[in-house]
Amino acid sequence: MILDLLVLYLYALIFATIGVAIYGVVARSNVAKKIIALTILGDTVNLLLVLLGYRFVERPAPPVVTSLVPTSRDIEYLVEHGVDPLLQAFVITAIVINLAVTALLVFLAIHAYHRFGTLEMDEMGGEV
Amino acid sequence: MGSRLLAALSMCAMALALAYALTVGVFSIYIPIELRPLAKILVTSAYNESTPLFSSMTPEIVTAVVWDYRGIDTFFEVAVFYVAIVATAALFRGIERSAPRTSVGLSTIVRTVTRIVALMIVVVGSAIILHGHLTPGGGFQGGATIAVAVALALVAYGLAKLVEHRIDYETSLKVRSLGLLGLSLSACIALIAALILNTNAYVFQNQPKTYAPIGLPYAVDGVLISGTVLLLNIFDGIAVAAGFALLLILLSQPEDVARERVLSSEGGE
Repeated sequence: MILDLLVLYLYALIFATIGVAIYGVVARSNVAKKIIALTILGDTVNLLLVLLGYRFVERPAPPVVTSLVPTSRDIEYLVEHGVDPLLQAFVITAIVINLAVTALLVFLAIHAYHRFGTLEMDEMGGEV
Repeated sequence: MGSRLLAALSMCAMALALAYALTVGVFSIYIPIELRPLAKILVTSAYNESTPLFSSMTPEIVTAVVWDYRGIDTFFEVAVFYVAIVATAALFRGIERSAPRTSVGLSTIVRTVTRIVALMIVVVGSAIILHGHLTPGGGFQGGATIAVAVALALVAYGLAKLVEHRIDYETSLKVRSLGLLGLSLSACIALIAALILNTNAYVFQNQPKTYAPIGLPYAVDGVLISGTVLLLNIFDGIAVAAGFALLLILLSQPEDVARERVLSSEGGE
């Protein structure tokens, strides 16, 4: 029951954060704030993926085999307690791509700032 | 004023709808007690000598997924990172040659501390890379850690001092290309061996598979290296560290030079 409420709370949190981030990307006119909102959006989606990979077992274990010569008992323990490794692998991928996209956007914004002298979208279209 | 309010409200509604679609609509609220079937296969076979044909012999299962089971995905992800850095360098072309001749840097205390700490950061980053197949970590994380040392040195010493010591745009571009070349070669290492020995192999093959009986040894002298996973982690670490260093060096170019460059290229059209 408490765990269900916790999941609901985390989902609501992620829902709200994604909403705020999308609003920031769409409605803010400052490019720097758009980029910040985009990074928040990416990180929140990563959080959602990690949450989906979690398991409600006692003493959840990270997906790492801890003995160098694993017996079948070790692997059974990991199947019983380990969390989902696939979603964590997705998150590694997503973080790197997020970072590359953010770096490119930041450099584009710097370029635009040099060109127009402002980061406000509304002022960029006007006189240079 | 009313139309602005309407626009803001419609944007709010759109953000809420998209947030709903992304959280509740795509992923149902379901966190399993049991491991999902696919994850169960991965967990049971990632480091299991009794199923050698399905195993990657990597104790860290996330790394096993990243560099073995879904290796081609990760390769293209590295390609995305590479393209982003190439695009960045293309946006700032010409600026990298105008580095300042002198730089002030920070005080002696900061410089001395940076000299000690930067070395320690590089050591920690290397440890993260080299233990990527044993403990959480790997090429991306360790490479990002090493790049922090470059960032520290850039702030403490200034760009000119780093250029003096050959930590500049050209070098990081070369090291990055070298890392990517190593990455591609280690992805094809089983394929090359199979061509020489006249058998079959797959791209990104690590351990022997059915119809592809060739593979890298997962342990050398009792030291676990997990076949190609260690190689891929090392080259990926080099590529990521150099890529970040390149971005940081481009970012720390003097502002007036960059502005002049951008405006002159606009006028030259």
